Amino acid sequence: MTTLPKQWTSIEELAGDPAFAKKIAAEFPVAASFPPTARRDFLKIMAASLALAGLTGCEKSPFVAGIPYVDQPESALPGVPRHYATAVTLDGYAQPVLATTYDGRPTKLDGLPGHPATQGRSDVFMQAAVLQLYDPDRAQSPTRAGEPVTWTDVGAMFSDQRREWQKDGGKRLRLLLSQTTSPTLVRQIRELQSQFPAARVHLHDTSGERERIAHAIAAYGEPLDLHYQLDACSVVVSFDDDFLGPGPRQLLNAIKWAQARRRGDVPGIQLHCAESIPAATGAVASYRLRAAPSRMPHLVETLAARLGVVGASVNDLSAEERRWLDRTGAALNAAKGRALVTAGLGTGAQTARWVAQINETIGASGQTLKLTSPVADPGVATASLDELVIDMNTGQVDTLVILDANPVYTAPGSLDFASALSKVKTSIHIGLYRDETGHRGTWQLPLTHDLESWSDARAVDGAATIIQPVMTPFYDVRSRHQIMAMMLGRDQAADESVRKTWRDAFGESFDAKWQQALRDGLVAGNAPEIQATPVSGKIEPAPPGADGSDIAFRLDPTVWDGRFANLGWLQELPKPLSTLTWGNVVAVSPAWAREVEVENGDVLEIDIDGRKVSGPAWIMPGQADNTFGLWLGHGREQAGRVGDGIGYNAYSVRPAATPWLAQGAVRKLDRKETLAVTQLHHRMEGFDLVREVSVASPTLPAPSPQPSLYPPHPSAKNAWGMVIDIDSCIGCNACVAACTAENNIAVVGKAQVEMGREMHWLRIARYYVGDVETPRSYFQPVPCMQCEDAPCEMGCPVHATTHSPEGINQMVYNRCIGTRTCSSYCPYKVRRFNYLDYRYTPEAPAEPVHNPDVTLRSRGVMEKCTYCTQRIQAAHVAADKDNRDLRDGDVVTACQAACPTRAIVFGDINDPDSEVSKLRRSGRHYALLEKLGTRPRTTYLAKWNDGSDDEDDRT
Amino acid sequence: MTASATDILPTDQSIGDISRQLTGIPLHFPARRQWWIAMTIAIVLLVLFIVSVIELFTRGVGIWGLNVPVTWAFAIHNYVWWLGIGHAGTLISALLLLTGSEWRNSLNRFAETMTLFAVVCAGIYPVLHLGRPWYLYWMFPYPATMGVWPQFRSPLEWDIWAVLTYLSVSVLFWYTGLIPDLANARDRARRRGWQIFFGILALGWRGSTIHWSRWSRTYRIMAAIAVPLVVSVHSEISLLFAASQMPGWHSTLFPPYFVLGAAFSGFAVVSVIAVALRAMFGLGNLVTRDHLDVLGKVLLATGLMTGYGYVFEVVDTLYGGNSHDLQTLLNRTIGAYAWLYWGAVVFNFVPLQLLWWRIVRRTGWALLLISASVIIGMWLERYMILVTTLYRDFLVSSWRHYTPTFWDWSTYFGTIGLFLVPFLLAIRFIPVISIFETEKTLLDEQEARDG
Amino acid sequence: MTQIFSPTADTWLRLAVVGFLSACGASLVAAIGFARSSYVTSTDIAPHQPVPFSHRHHVGELGIDCRYCHADVERGPKAGLPPTATCMTCHSQIWTHAAMLAPVRQSLTENKPLRWTRVAKLPDYVFFRHDIHIAKGVGCVTCHGRVDTMPLTYRARAFTMQFCLDCHRDPTPNLRPADKITDMTWKPAGPPRDLGARIAAHVGIRSGELTHCYVCHR
Repeated sequence: MTTLPKQWTSIEELAGDPAFAKKIAAEFPVAASFPPTARRDFLKIMAASLALAGLTGCEKSPFVAGIPYVDQPESALPGVPRHYATAVTLDGYAQPVLATTYDGRPTKLDGLPGHPATQGRSDVFMQAAVLQLYDPDRAQSPTRAGEPVTWTDVGAMFSDQRREWQKDGGKRLRLLLSQTTSPTLVRQIRELQSQFPAARVHLHDTSGERERIAHAIAAYGEPLDLHYQLDACSVVVSFDDDFLGPGPRQLLNAIKWAQARRRGDVPGIQLHCAESIPAATGAVASYRLRAAPSRMPHLVETLAARLGVVGASVNDLSAEERRWLDRTGAALNAAKGRALVTAGLGTGAQTARWVAQINETIGASGQTLKLTSPVADPGVATASLDELVIDMNTGQVDTLVILDANPVYTAPGSLDFASALSKVKTSIHIGLYRDETGHRGTWQLPLTHDLESWSDARAVDGAATIIQPVMTPFYDVRSRHQIMAMMLGRDQAADESVRKTWRDAFGESFDAKWQQALRDGLVAGNAPEIQATPVSGKIEPAPPGADGSDIAFRLDPTVWDGRFANLGWLQELPKPLSTLTWGNVVAVSPAWAREVEVENGDVLEIDIDGRKVSGPAWIMPGQADNTFGLWLGHGREQAGRVGDGIGYNAYSVRPAATPWLAQGAVRKLDRKETLAVTQLHHRMEGFDLVREVSVASPTLPAPSPQPSLYPPHPSAKNAWGMVIDIDSCIGCNACVAACTAENNIAVVGKAQVEMGREMHWLRIARYYVGDVETPRSYFQPVPCMQCEDAPCEMGCPVHATTHSPEGINQMVYNRCIGTRTCSSYCPYKVRRFNYLDYRYTPEAPAEPVHNPDVTLRSRGVMEKCTYCTQRIQAAHVAADKDNRDLRDGDVVTACQAACPTRAIVFGDINDPDSEVSKLRRSGRHYALLEKLGTRPRTTYLAKWNDGSDDEDDRT
Repeated sequence: MTASATDILPTDQSIGDISRQLTGIPLHFPARRQWWIAMTIAIVLLVLFIVSVIELFTRGVGIWGLNVPVTWAFAIHNYVWWLGIGHAGTLISALLLLTGSEWRNSLNRFAETMTLFAVVCAGIYPVLHLGRPWYLYWMFPYPATMGVWPQFRSPLEWDIWAVLTYLSVSVLFWYTGLIPDLANARDRARRRGWQIFFGILALGWRGSTIHWSRWSRTYRIMAAIAVPLVVSVHSEISLLFAASQMPGWHSTLFPPYFVLGAAFSGFAVVSVIAVALRAMFGLGNLVTRDHLDVLGKVLLATGLMTGYGYVFEVVDTLYGGNSHDLQTLLNRTIGAYAWLYWGAVVFNFVPLQLLWWRIVRRTGWALLLISASVIIGMWLERYMILVTTLYRDFLVSSWRHYTPTFWDWSTYFGTIGLFLVPFLLAIRFIPVISIFETEKTLLDEQEARDG
Repeated sequence: MTQIFSPTADTWLRLAVVGFLSACGASLVAAIGFARSSYVTSTDIAPHQPVPFSHRHHVGELGIDCRYCHADVERGPKAGLPPTATCMTCHSQIWTHAAMLAPVRQSLTENKPLRWTRVAKLPDYVFFRHDIHIAKGVGCVTCHGRVDTMPLTYRARAFTMQFCLDCHRDPTPNLRPADKITDMTWKPAGPPRDLGARIAAHVGIRSGELTHCYVCHR
């Protein structure tokens, strides 16, 4: 639980001290851009840590100021991290986190251990949330028509408004919400409607949660959430459902997927995937079928027919489709009660109904499929965005309150929300940024970031978390509940309304339960299971393939629906299959590319009933013919200094009726764009970089010992090693994002990435094997191999990279003179060089987010993965202080902690009982390029080849 | 009366003429115009160099086209190229001095001069190459308060010593050879300034017998030291690559391969300069067609030996059969940088074949063009060796191309200015051809003739 | 033909050569010496402080334990400068009107921290932790010198990497019993190495592992 506000009282004055303020400005260019009020608060936060940290190391005079507290709080221990349980949100769902703060300044988020929905694991959005907290482009004070105003003005405005609303019971008041799971917000909305019964609430969500529920209603007759129990499955069939891909459910699905996959000595779960646009799920599938989205209804109906679902008729199929359906049908029949069929967005209501029927037939419900009432429930009857736009255009809306949404950008182009908005008398935008909508609205009220808010939210499994602030807001902002309270005619402290919600819920002994909930980051109990049966009755046959091409919309795997567009960490994160950074592409099938003679980067124009957008082509091996993939979330105009003008805006051509799959035309323009991709070559060229084992031959040949001229290094008690299970990796990038956050990895920007100078210490190599139409895909995370006989160490003339007794290749930045010999000699090319000074680029992260235990690398020095040595040293110190040996699990690297599938295991290979030692004895264990005799400490577990080309299939 | 077949200098000239002719060059300079044109170009290039270096030190090596995996390119590549050139001078002089080949005496002086400035250009590059050049001194062993020493297993560390040793020995060797001529220039100088200038440099040389005997002993000893150095230095440079495990670098062939390549490019430059000066100062009587002929032969010989290196590199790879080496061989011959490989082959070896014909060897401009082609060819070779290995090494996922930027080029052309300016000054102010040695040669020949 | 040089020219030339060479040598020695001079290591300089605080008085004469003011030294990486409140625990009782202490009282009344000047400061690429050194028996005096004799505080030891390495390579001579950590005058009874070795064994110092780079640099 946090006591932060109290902590800082001691140094408010210090923040005011001009000399100190100057120093801060030097240290925090960000701070310079703050308005006075926010700036003062910000300084307040930063002061203690900075003062005690000693402002900077490169000061000219050897004697720098040392500034103590006036009255040091008991809890304050400078330089020692403290951890708080709280949550950040994605699509309104809680992502429970454990926040690490140094001197009151959060620097790192990890999944909350012990929470069923994260189990200590994370995804890229959770990792990057802390960067958004410090985003200098956030809205920093309320504005009216762009002019800064005070919250008193806002209060006045609301009381005027309320007088208006009271006249007609709020008939001309509309509230536009994004997806939310917050009990407190729900309570406040209910209260608002009870005050103004005529006011209407509209819901706008970009991530497809509404469609999910619509499909559930079509299939089961009532709104439901479908929870996949993958850990209970041995066969899963996915119809264009990327359940292992990015999104609020990725974590939970990936965790369970890995559990099932590792069941027993051979793969415990097999995935059959019919997929249009290649994604994580198809990449790990044992049997993947290339199929256009519009084929899905036909495929699923045929499958239903084979499984004897009444009313299902067999459609005509291609040989390829039939072969896949044969195998899939057989597998499902063989695994009744342990099987599950899923369908993705854009596959249509019929598909959803057939899938429900099939799941019923194979006994999925209750076993592998859990149904609950929707976790994300606004609590009141809501109307859609389309209806709102109609009312706005017909002038029925005087006041529109937009809560934490950016419809001007994210509304389907067919609605033309911007022009509708201009017809509204008073529009009040409440959001983190003064974004596209905020700029057009009358009022813009800045929100607190989750990490500085009192709030609450539910995770995808329904479990509630009370969100507590880990630092006091340093901008002049208010939480959504405070602003709602103002709308309700009250002015409340940040935590008041949240406390009220839970006082009602907890009943007696509130304080104890409240403290407990804050400490655990979890309120016991989650959404109750519901028994529901699929609606019977005739299912109309799927429409025959419409004319035109299938144009599928996907949310961007790194900036999601665009809300993270201003975060350099995410913009520079290579997208799972294309390794593209800084932008989005139009995915095309290889066959089409050959036919139209399109290369990567050629600009294509997409035309969907008259609305056009153009973006660079990307030839996606394994993509279904006559199918094109557009990614939402780019082409922002008011995202901020990092996110503006990157990529194209796919929302502009998105049809409101069918937001995930449209029919349209695509033509090639004679322009070309350069794409910033981090991996240019994807064929393995016959090298055994990624190895495979099959059930028939589950062990790899034993490696031949490699002689060395150098004597072996004497080993200390601990010898660190890492094993990466290629079979478990789903290429989700959580490890890369976590490494970036933990190790202060620089953001170099588009131009530098194009030159091949990205700084990620850990890259996820991606390979294709087989023909370009139906390739097998592999993910291989490649950190530093920490070779025992390291070529790099021998090359460095100044001892800047040396061998530690614990077997780590140490890279000492302050000794490096930048000959780059180590990198030239490195067979794995895992080293990164600061060709320019990347610390203060326009895209660079705000300084306060940096991990104080890791040096910021200056221009001209080499850097690389250190096995998170700062964590190793911290563990050593802790153990040494109470004079004991390190235990397995004392040291957990950032990538290992993040990995949702536990594919990365780190530990002491001298300890035969450590998890990593056990894995090194596995039959699937191998070292990358072991013939070079570098004897890497980072090694791999081969991928299970239980798929389309194993023995039983070739016959 | 004509010179006999064995004579390399026309014997029908008096010794006095020669020394007058040669010392005359610095004292009252012929060909001022050509010299000034050359000098202007050189100065422009030098300015370009200075600008590039300022930009480099202010912004960092990122101004070049480097990336990961190609972390080494122009800087190292031109370093090796310059150093290669810087080998001919000492090699010619020392080796031929020891083997007593008289014809050397007309060439050694400017060959050695050229060597010095080439080595300087080479020596500059490793400094420019560094990410943090201001810490260069960490590469030298000195009692630091850090309690850390250089890493002596590193080829780069060996490099520092190799190059510095080579530079200092070359300087001494060159200067030793220069002393008698400086004395000669001193005695002929009329103006006081020149007299003092040459006087100090001549170290009070009086040409007494004891001077001569000591001098020739010293000179031969220096030569004996210099020759193995020439070999060792470039062998060491090759270890910069061969000591790694990278495909296409990790080969025992590299040391001789590099030494021969160095000599090859070096002799090419010597030939160019020989022909140029010959025309510029009308030295036809001292740098005779026979000299060009010999140069042509040496060039052909070293060229063919380098060619052998090319062939054997391929054979080696095919015989070894390592999949990554084969991959690199393919990348070199048919990959994105195949033009480098074939460019090197063509420029190095095709025009070279003309030298089989005596008439070509004895024609100045022909020799000049062929040598120029060799210089380009060797430059392409060094480029090829570096980039074609790095841009596609072991892990497919890290493959990436390299394209030099403006600053790569400007720095490179800049160093040419850095080479030309002092060289032009040298031929302006010191005797370009060893006076006494040519005189000695002539004397011997005349005695031989008169019997 | 007239002589260009006087007969002594040779001698002068020789002298010049000898002089030049010795100058080179001398400057090298000078540079190496300079790097160790108190000017570079900024030792033995007592910088200006807002209050002329005397460790000699407080530690030497009054015998206040280091940890009374530097309270975090056993808990965290930083020893911690005493907050104003700590000064006032005594000085709200004694010397309550001493002019010398005005800044302290002002700090408390205005709730504005004192701005001391740090004397012991390491570069920011060195990650030093006080707590582990204390826990393993390294005394304050080992690095900070006889603070109890300093009327004004100065850096007693040059914090060069060599200085750190000497101890990390062979800590034994510098170890002391846990109860003598803050003792400025303590001397081992026998030869320091024997006692040190015993302590090292007892507190489990990982000898040989303390000199690798990542112990201090990250």
